[in-house]
Amino acid sequence: MHYMILIYEDESVYGDKNDTPEMQAIVAKHWDLVSDLGDQYKTGAGLAMTSAATTVRTVNGKQTIHDGPFAETREQLGGYYVIEADNLDDAIAVARRVPVRFDGSIEIRPLLHPPGK
Amino acid sequence: MIEAVLRADGGRITAALAARFRDLDLAEEALAEACARAVSAWADAPPANPAGWLYRVATRVALDSLRRNAVRHATTLFEPEPEPTVEDLMTATPLIPDERLRLIFVCCHPAIHPDARAALTLRLVCGLSAQEIARAFLIAEPTLLQRLTRAKRKIADAGVPFEVPGPDHWGERLDAVLSTLEVAYAHAHADGAGTGRHAGYADEMLGITATLAAMLPTESEVQALAATVRFAEARRPARVDADGMMVPLADQDPMLWDASLITEGRRYLARILTHPLAVRGVQALIHAEWCARGSLANPAPWPAILTLYDALLACRDDPVTRLNRAVALAEVCGPAIAFEEVDALSHAGLADYLPYHAVRADLLARLGLADGARQAYDAALALAPAGAERRWLERGRSKCMD
Repeated sequence: MHYMILIYEDESVYGDKNDTPEMQAIVAKHWDLVSDLGDQYKTGAGLAMTSAATTVRTVNGKQTIHDGPFAETREQLGGYYVIEADNLDDAIAVARRVPVRFDGSIEIRPLLHPPGK
Repeated sequence: MIEAVLRADGGRITAALAARFRDLDLAEEALAEACARAVSAWADAPPANPAGWLYRVATRVALDSLRRNAVRHATTLFEPEPEPTVEDLMTATPLIPDERLRLIFVCCHPAIHPDARAALTLRLVCGLSAQEIARAFLIAEPTLLQRLTRAKRKIADAGVPFEVPGPDHWGERLDAVLSTLEVAYAHAHADGAGTGRHAGYADEMLGITATLAAMLPTESEVQALAATVRFAEARRPARVDADGMMVPLADQDPMLWDASLITEGRRYLARILTHPLAVRGVQALIHAEWCARGSLANPAPWPAILTLYDALLACRDDPVTRLNRAVALAEVCGPAIAFEEVDALSHAGLADYLPYHAVRADLLARLGLADGARQAYDAALALAPAGAERRWLERGRSKCMD
């Protein structure tokens, strides 16, 4: 099965830019994990801060464009992996290894189809 | 007849089907269909091995259903297995593989909502009906069915494996299993009367904890839970008096306790004493200490109980443990010190916890603070306790009126 692993953290712990030393340190850890995962890793990316987010909302068929992420939350989506795993336990084992700076939540969601199909 | 077979072997059959087909719904439906067929097939005489009959017929039903789906979706066709003859079905004694441990770990996976875990385990592993579970959990049957359906869909969609977890995640996973069984047993144990509607599946709880203890003989916490359930069940006959009023543990006549269950409990306990004790081990020891009392003429073992609660607090420091320790503290050091301890607990987290108000009420009454005691009794009664406990609280409250 394929799973998406979504990383939620309070983005302010990395400062207010995308290339702070804190951010560079965590990115290095992510690359270590990616190389450890080998073929199990399918794709993934870190996301720019939510200050760069734009939301297109559709309400009653009418689209409007908004500044910011779709919801203001304490922890924000900061990046994702797509991995292939035998089952949920296997995916949980990967999720446990995903680095976070302090507190954070790693959400595991099965993909309905293999990616790109 | 069929119901009795399901009670005894339903969990084993469901587990074997689920492990083979990796599909809880299919396993459940196939077993239900096999039971429906048994009604007429067993009308004259039941087969030599009724559980084996159900397992074989259910396996066949599941294979047929998979084949029909395969045909409908034009996917791989697989050869039908040869149809067993009626005679073969009636006399054969096939071995049902024991996959219950896998099924227990599936039903109690931490990725399943805690409310649903206990219900799913009782339904699939213990073979209880949805109606029985809904009654014990005090929820409407449609609500329970919805929870079960949602949990099964989560298991299928999220890819929860039909495997016993590897040793590196054993701790958290086993803890989820044990806490699920504790929740299930709490519902079975809740009604002190024992004749009440919640008590129906105490036997199944004895059964599943015995199964788990046999399958995991070196896991201390598993042995401890099996012991605790036996000690607690042993006292059931003494928990309510002739007027239907709850009898507190210290006032129960040990002569009424079930000696054979206590012996069984001690046997489980003996298997863990060599290991360092964790939470459930200490809890089992507390029960064992009470069950060793023997007679009302012997003093209640409060000093030993207090020492054990100190040990429990070292493994699990939470308000409920502190509250229980305060009960022992009151007996050993007096109600004033105990009340100080209870008063220091955060009221917010315990406001809906009936024993908190009951303990406060008792301590306040003993300290001669009748007004406060009455208010605490009212708070406890407002939480709608079952009949036996309500009568006991009402009597306590009436004593504060003098």
